[in-house]
Amino acid sequence: MARLSVRVWILIIALIFAALMISPRFSNGVLIRSVELNSTAYTEGLRPGMIITKIQSIPISDSVAYGQALESLFPVGEPIKLTIDTKSDGSFIFLTNSTPELSISSVPRSNIKTGLDLSGGARALVKPVNVTLSSSELSDLIEITNQRLNAFGISDITVKSVRDLEGATYMLVEVAGATPTDLRELVGQQGKFEAKVGNVTVFSGGEQDIRDVCRTDATCSGIESCFPTAEGYACNFYFTIYLAEAAAEKQALVTGNLSLDESAAYLSEKLYLYVDDKEVDSLNIAADLRGRKTTEISIQGSGAGATQEEALVEARKQMKKLQTILITGSLPYTLEIVKLDTLSPLLGKEFLKSILLLGALVFVIVSVILFIMYRNIKITLAVILTMFSEAFITLGIAALLKWNLDAPSIAGIIAGMGTGVNDQIVLIDEAVHDTQSSVKERIKRALFIIVGAFFTIVAAMIPLFWAGAGLLRGFALTTIIGVSVGILITRPAFADILKKL
Amino acid sequence: MEETAPVQTAGKDEHHPKRDWYDRYYKLLLVLPVVLFIGCLVYLGVFYSQQGDFFIKDSSLAGGTSITINGDIDPTDLESALKQSFDDIYVRTISDVRSGDILAVIVESSATPEQLKPAIEETLGYELSPSNSTIEFSGSTLSQNFYRQLIIAIIVSFILMSIVIFFLFRTFVPSIAVIFAAFADIVMAVAVVNLLGIRISAAGIAAFLMLIGYSVDTDILLTTRVLKKHEGSVNTRIYGAFKTGMFMTLTGLAAVLPAFLLVTSLPDSFRQIFLILAIGLCGDMINTWLTNASILKWYAVKRGMH
Repeated sequence: MARLSVRVWILIIALIFAALMISPRFSNGVLIRSVELNSTAYTEGLRPGMIITKIQSIPISDSVAYGQALESLFPVGEPIKLTIDTKSDGSFIFLTNSTPELSISSVPRSNIKTGLDLSGGARALVKPVNVTLSSSELSDLIEITNQRLNAFGISDITVKSVRDLEGATYMLVEVAGATPTDLRELVGQQGKFEAKVGNVTVFSGGEQDIRDVCRTDATCSGIESCFPTAEGYACNFYFTIYLAEAAAEKQALVTGNLSLDESAAYLSEKLYLYVDDKEVDSLNIAADLRGRKTTEISIQGSGAGATQEEALVEARKQMKKLQTILITGSLPYTLEIVKLDTLSPLLGKEFLKSILLLGALVFVIVSVILFIMYRNIKITLAVILTMFSEAFITLGIAALLKWNLDAPSIAGIIAGMGTGVNDQIVLIDEAVHDTQSSVKERIKRALFIIVGAFFTIVAAMIPLFWAGAGLLRGFALTTIIGVSVGILITRPAFADILKKL
Repeated sequence: MEETAPVQTAGKDEHHPKRDWYDRYYKLLLVLPVVLFIGCLVYLGVFYSQQGDFFIKDSSLAGGTSITINGDIDPTDLESALKQSFDDIYVRTISDVRSGDILAVIVESSATPEQLKPAIEETLGYELSPSNSTIEFSGSTLSQNFYRQLIIAIIVSFILMSIVIFFLFRTFVPSIAVIFAAFADIVMAVAVVNLLGIRISAAGIAAFLMLIGYSVDTDILLTTRVLKKHEGSVNTRIYGAFKTGMFMTLTGLAAVLPAFLLVTSLPDSFRQIFLILAIGLCGDMINTWLTNASILKWYAVKRGMH
């Protein structure tokens, strides 16, 4: 066998790299997507990302088997011993009389992620009415939307800002999997924040009542202490907020009427924090604050977890959540949902099956045509191999970028393969069939055509990165990745292989 | 049928009758695509004056709701029931090409999901949930923005492509010939899309951008062979490029058509991309090998190339 050239080695390395990125898996089981905080399953240590392989020693192959296994066990009157085996995190045994509060999904077969149009889910494009947001205002909006969705127990969300061709900014909210029926309210509401003592609103979120919130300064915010509890660990956090004069006066007025609680350390009423009329937290008010006009208030809270590390992370998260709603709680504008899609996963499944069939078919058709034209099995195989490599490396790069492949992205990959075949035909026709000019000149000419075609397709696709709030970015991205892989990796290797044939 | 030729004639000589023929008629060959091109322009002009736009837009670009209901549902019953309350209702089906079974029904209207969903539920007699249906809603302002931006994107894309072509060939007439062929591709594809009554989606417009990049491949091949290759006559160079280029386009179509014909299940965006590419590639055969080749030949003759 002839020695492989550097270019062929580069192709081989790229293929191995793509395989590592995609990392196909054939394991059975179900993936834990989220665990209800403070549930038994949570305190016992079950966490998102773990893979459940067995329940009560019954193998769990997929989400259907998971549902069946739990249906046969629950509900029961007396708690039973539930044994959950995981793939690499050991077994969990605990007493429970109800279904563990987990949300699960099938184990992904690879690192390739499919877009919402294929996997199902919901997508909302949100725009503030009559205002243009600065980038910091927009990131505040994203923060509060994230926080609100999390508070509602929706996992697997991405909230990000998108900018369109004309500079307008939107917030794009994507929820994978189960679609919450109230998504419209969740992302479309203004996000009113209120702090109440009893029924009286003392202050609201936003600049009018809250002058400042200490966030990054270690002297006025941070984690105070961590300690073991019955269920694990808890950590306390604190941070200072600075009230505006009017809010401070109101606070003095309201707390002046309160009595002390039994411990005499705190007042009889708590300070309740509401987001969109939903209570999110309650704080004890120190006794010495009664009736006093103070602009500086120390807000405290805690986060709990099974280990100290988890408690610390949780406390930081809670602190950030509170700080966020205090600053941005009350959005000074109303939001409009300009696009809302709830996508069923059913046709997506059908689609993926069809895509595999289609892939096989295209390979067969193209091979047959190539073979009829060139009557050369080696050339045909080389083209098919290159075509396959291109698609595979593109998928590898998509997995590396954690890009969600939606239907247009897959169309882009196929179109990229099409240009790849075209280029190879040019190379073959120049290199093999034309024997009049010198090899150097022929290759130079073929490269000129290929590079020219490459630049025109890249130039043509670039505007799609911005047009239409980037919702069609995937199509442009996979096409450009595909043709770039073609020109940088597979085409040079193919030219070398061709020389040997 | 045919007897094997006892004497092997030299390859080049075989092309002589063809070359004579081409030398005589290449200008005449220009007439067909030009007539076709003007015909498409006139059609699009009439279309624009009637519809107020160059495309029939679907709900993602015109604003409104698109509800896809999975399952074998009778589209005519649904349409007649919904027609009473929504006058712009549009119903079509997605069916499996192999078996002909209806896989899903798509209902489009400018109404909001809050109006459309209950009406469909009433007709079908069951509730629509994310597990049995897909609901897509686009506000009208957003859709207008999207549409305007995608049209701008097509124009920008075309300009960028033209710059690349000028940079590649650095001669006026051949570059303009390529750009004109690409422009004719787009015009013809838009005309055919409208003739077929296709409601264009955002993904469909994106397909036009790809067509801009994809269709010039063969033009670049042709122009390179004619201008940069020095062996053989202009005619043999054009003929050589024709063989390679047609082969490229046909393999392209072979890859694109099954995507349209076989992947009938959703998402629709996927099929529309391939349908538009297929239409564009067919038009491209005319525009490359009749329009662009004839202009190039003309240019070569004027420049005294042979």
